[in-house]
Amino acid sequence: METREVAITIKCGNFHPPLSKCQERRSENGLIHVWNLKTHRVDTALDGHGRRSVYCVETMGGRDRLLSPTVALVPVHLFSVKVQVLELPSKTSVCTLKPEMGAKLGMPMCLKLWQLSCGSQPLLLAGYEDGSVVLWSVTMGKVLSQLVCHQEPVMSLDFDSEKAKGISGSSEKVLCIWSLNEQQNLQVDKTHELVNAGISGIAIRPDKRILATAGWDHRIRIFGWKKLKPLAVLDYHTATVHCVSFSDHRSAPERLLAAGSRDHRISVWSVYTQT
Amino acid sequence: MAVFDTPQAAFGALRPACVQLTRAQTVENVRRLQAHLGAVSGAALQELQEYVLFPLRFGLRVPGPKQERLVQSLVQCISSVLAATCVRKRELLRELFSELCTCLAPPAGSGTPAPLSEELKLAVIQALHTLLHSAYGDVILALYQPAALPLLGFAVSLLLGLAEQERAKQIKISALECLQVLVLQCDCQEHRHLDEDEAQQCGDLFASFLPGISIALSRVITGDIKQGHKTTISAIRLFYLLIGLVMADAQLAKIPKSKEKLPVEQSRISELMVHRGPDWSKSTAEKLSLLLHKVVESSSIHPHWKVRLELVELVHHLMRNCSQSLVDSFSHLLKALVGLVNDENSQVQNRCHEVLRGIAEQRLVAHNRALADVLSENLHSLSTALPRLMNSQDDTGKVSTLSLLLGYLKLLGPKINMVLTSVSHLQRLSRALVQVLELDVTDVKIVEERRWGPPGSLQHRGRPHRKYFRFFTEEKVFQLLQQVCRVLGYYGNLYLLVDHFMGLYRESGLYRKQAAMVLNELLTGAAGLGVDVLQEREVPPSVDDLRGSITSILDEYTDQANWYLVTGTDAEGASPEPSEPRLGLAARVGAPSSSVLLPSPEPPGTTRAMNSNIWQICIQLEGIGCFATVLGREFRLLLLSALYPVLEKAGDRTLLVSETALATLADVCEACGYDSVQRLINENSDYLVNGISLNLRQLAHQPHASQVLDTMLRHSDASLLPLVEDVIQDVLSALDQSYNNQASTFLRVLHSVMTALVQWFGMPSAEEHQQRWTDRGQSGARSQGQHEVTVTKQEVERFFLDYVSQKQIAEGDLPDTGEEEADEVPSLAQAEPNNCDTDGEAALPSHAQLARDVMERCLHLLSDGSLRVRLKVLDVLELCVTVLHPHGNHLLPMAHRVWPALVTRLISDDPLAVLRAFKVLCTLAQTCGDFLRQRFSKDVLPKLTSSLLSQAPASARAGPVYSHTLAFKLQLAVLQGLGSLCERLDMGESDLNKVADACLIYLSARQPVKLQEAAQSVFLHLLQVDPDSTWLFLSEVWCPERHEPPHGSLRPVRLRGMGRPRNELTHNVLLLLHRLRLQEGTAPGTTSQQASPC
Repeated sequence: METREVAITIKCGNFHPPLSKCQERRSENGLIHVWNLKTHRVDTALDGHGRRSVYCVETMGGRDRLLSPTVALVPVHLFSVKVQVLELPSKTSVCTLKPEMGAKLGMPMCLKLWQLSCGSQPLLLAGYEDGSVVLWSVTMGKVLSQLVCHQEPVMSLDFDSEKAKGISGSSEKVLCIWSLNEQQNLQVDKTHELVNAGISGIAIRPDKRILATAGWDHRIRIFGWKKLKPLAVLDYHTATVHCVSFSDHRSAPERLLAAGSRDHRISVWSVYTQT
Repeated sequence: MAVFDTPQAAFGALRPACVQLTRAQTVENVRRLQAHLGAVSGAALQELQEYVLFPLRFGLRVPGPKQERLVQSLVQCISSVLAATCVRKRELLRELFSELCTCLAPPAGSGTPAPLSEELKLAVIQALHTLLHSAYGDVILALYQPAALPLLGFAVSLLLGLAEQERAKQIKISALECLQVLVLQCDCQEHRHLDEDEAQQCGDLFASFLPGISIALSRVITGDIKQGHKTTISAIRLFYLLIGLVMADAQLAKIPKSKEKLPVEQSRISELMVHRGPDWSKSTAEKLSLLLHKVVESSSIHPHWKVRLELVELVHHLMRNCSQSLVDSFSHLLKALVGLVNDENSQVQNRCHEVLRGIAEQRLVAHNRALADVLSENLHSLSTALPRLMNSQDDTGKVSTLSLLLGYLKLLGPKINMVLTSVSHLQRLSRALVQVLELDVTDVKIVEERRWGPPGSLQHRGRPHRKYFRFFTEEKVFQLLQQVCRVLGYYGNLYLLVDHFMGLYRESGLYRKQAAMVLNELLTGAAGLGVDVLQEREVPPSVDDLRGSITSILDEYTDQANWYLVTGTDAEGASPEPSEPRLGLAARVGAPSSSVLLPSPEPPGTTRAMNSNIWQICIQLEGIGCFATVLGREFRLLLLSALYPVLEKAGDRTLLVSETALATLADVCEACGYDSVQRLINENSDYLVNGISLNLRQLAHQPHASQVLDTMLRHSDASLLPLVEDVIQDVLSALDQSYNNQASTFLRVLHSVMTALVQWFGMPSAEEHQQRWTDRGQSGARSQGQHEVTVTKQEVERFFLDYVSQKQIAEGDLPDTGEEEADEVPSLAQAEPNNCDTDGEAALPSHAQLARDVMERCLHLLSDGSLRVRLKVLDVLELCVTVLHPHGNHLLPMAHRVWPALVTRLISDDPLAVLRAFKVLCTLAQTCGDFLRQRFSKDVLPKLTSSLLSQAPASARAGPVYSHTLAFKLQLAVLQGLGSLCERLDMGESDLNKVADACLIYLSARQPVKLQEAAQSVFLHLLQVDPDSTWLFLSEVWCPERHEPPHGSLRPVRLRGMGRPRNELTHNVLLLLHRLRLQEGTAPGTTSQQASPC
């Protein structure tokens, strides 16, 4: 297997009961590797993309893939401005989200699909090449709010639907925290200055207490989500870290953080502290 | 004599004798009757039975004192009549029985047996025996009516008296046998089988005699050994048969609550009768228990094996028939049985095993709570005494004690858990095991034995080191202990046991090794491996259970505090110089991973403590091997955590540890289904690489990580390289960050990396390369030596022309180039393909790339402060050069960079370093010939030659010890290497002369022989390079013959060596000249004169 570049996105999932702990990793050669955290080996390699670049992977929300038809997979066509929403498992396209003519948003760089509460309409947050974050209503197919928070392309974002607060990172030296008010308008809360420029991945832990960033400075940083207090710098990789992801294990001590880097390695961390 | 078949005829024949006997009772008459009896057939005699018996009985009944001989003959005669006939009348039986008994009756009033002759007693006993056998059908039961009780009792006491008090063996045995028949337990098959009621009745009857018989018998059994084993055997047999009958569970169960009322006329007799109610059986069982204890004690150590065999039968019989009534005695019985399992006699052993298996199969223990209680009580008291016994007993005693323990456990079987759940039982047992298993840790050799060099040089390979225990030396004891643990593991609750022993393991360093040993065996037993049991367990533990336990034990074993223990004073890198061991030790004790963290029984750093640590590691390693065997392929899941530590220990410097780790590795390999260790490592290299790369990031773990890599490389092949390349780069970058403190650790890894690379890639390409160099050398313009040999006149002419044209070129006078190129092209064409595919920048294979990276690190370390490091670096460097051989384009720049540091090593360093550096130089010279020439002649050669010259007088004077000195080794190495160096580097004439000058003195006969030989080799090489000048040089020293010029016009040759007297150099010079001539002689058409310069 020739791997030109690996580990762009990592998703820790708990979705396959018999494996109990899993991790997905995509690579630019178009294979999705499912890693078993028990054996530390690749369980399966899914080849669904004709060996072309895979840009993003999303696991289903439920524990079982087949029983969660309400969640959609969001593919991004490279170098296009559209976002397509597909319904699974029928794989029919629900809608295509396309910015209005004249709006120079550029390419969507990162996405986050979420629901305010169970049963309410799904919303999509998308970070664009021009540095703006856009809130889409998936059902209506229109822009609800738009916020320009970065000068550079938004490399990644994550959103906490409980606090209605999100965070995004770009190639700049800042993290931007924004919130969504009742009128469904996005507004910048504050910005957080970083030591080194360039954030390629952000993930908020499912319990919404800490977040991790993947930095171009080869380091993973852990912050408290509330005040963005720096908690730890994880130094392992020898190249740009592409992405970070938390597992959704039920018991807290089992929860893991995984990070993928350009150095061809995935590091798995236990960041739980016994307090 | 005729045989009388009919009663009439018989009567006719017998009558006179009978009549005569009735008239006069003499021995003579009895004899006559007996003689006649012999001629009468059985059937006829049956008819006449009473008639014939009459005079005989009459003889016995006659009042007044009788002659003993007469009585004896009468009894014998009766006996012979009875043997041929059977008694059909109850009356007759009873009368005969009482009459015979009376013969032996003691005189009235005295309690002692009658002072009768032994022959008479024997005769009576035999007659009784015969009588009881001749009773027909139901008739025998006449004796066993309550009414006959007094008579029976009389007979019994008589016989017992005989058995107990007689001295003659024969009588004793006969009496016992007779008694056995009397209680209806005869061994022969002729008897009618009693039905249940009858048996019950007899049981009631015999119950009255039980106390008497059993006491008397127990006395017989425990009596003097001189009475012979047969007596004892018979007594034992009678003993258990009777008890088995009277105390039989089946009979006791049917006894009514209250005593039966007998008819009034028998009231006196009924007083004699015993009611076998619960009270009676309880008190009897208590008394019997005492007797049984005595019997068992004495006969279990009886020297004759048949007695012990009979004892086994006793236990068997009683266990089968009286498992409820005699439950209190079972502790003694089982003890005896279990103790006899390991009897020296195989028959006893086998029978014992059979009986035990029988007991286990009947689930006697499982279904009988009382019995289980007895066993667990025994176990408890035994385990309490065990440590004391182990201290005091000798090895044989230990074997028997332990086999007893093992027997109890086996008998308890699944009921073991009942014992284990009691805290005090479990604690005592475990303490006992742990104490017994204490190792002897005084052996210094264990600590001292080091693993040096590659694994191939191991001498003790394949022989597992024996453990030495403090309390025993015999292997058998250890095997028994092993079995004990395995049986525990087999039946016991695994979680409970593992928890308990893990507790002991953690509790104190004193117990750690033993607890680990026990744990290993427990798990082995739990999987049913190598365990010998009497009954299958109901539910074997599931694989998940096993894996759960094993995982937790593994975690504990490989925990830092238990895995990284101080095993030696010179743990890698701790003491840089051998002259400072104390400092090194102190440094180690303070190290974070040392055992000071633990409550160690010994002060850390002593030999005992280290020995103990070594054993602990070994036991834990063995444990991992066991666990792998237990889990089989399932162990693959645990390789993630287990493989790395094992490999780490395989690279340990302590011989025992590394050997044990290798054995473990082999076990794991087999269990997990890999063909070889190599495949095991290759297929799991991802786990190992992960561990290495993680541990490299922590300074304290770097040595271990490098050990793992070291072991991986040692045991694998080239296919591993792509898998570990990554991690080798990690090692290099880790080295980059810590040149100062960890250098020697990393150098070990680099050394093994390079050794592996040389082994995997170096050899073939090196040969090929050498080939290439020789090719090039031959075709090159400068290397004329080879050509010169085959010169013809034309060639001399051509040489001259060439020389002229070269000279012109050198002076800048370039001729027409066309011809030149034509000459050069073939040689270039030959060299090019090689250059292209091996030396191209992009095509550098990974191993060469690695070698280059390593070499780069060596550059920095070559001038390290520590001699040890420098030596190691030089070794690594040499390997790097070997690997880089085929890649000249890469090697040359590196060589260029290495050169200054290398020269320093060669010129001004410790002799050891010089020696190694010189080796590197030789290797380097093989590759970068002309590249080094200039530098060598400028930087190194002067120093080498001057040192050779200055050392020569010393070695010439030196004695035999000199060959062990460093100076000698250096001289030798330089002399041995110099020749080939000169040849490879293609040295210029002036340099060659320098070499020749320096080496000449070593041709002296006064030098040590080895140096002479080495110096010869230098000259032989010089002969290859430039035969002419060498010839001249040698001839100047000593010339054996005159050289006549071929033509008068030429001047006569005058050499300085001509006509000199023989001196110390003569011998070797002559030898060399001879070799030269031989060499030239092989080339046709050449003479030395022709080649010699004018």
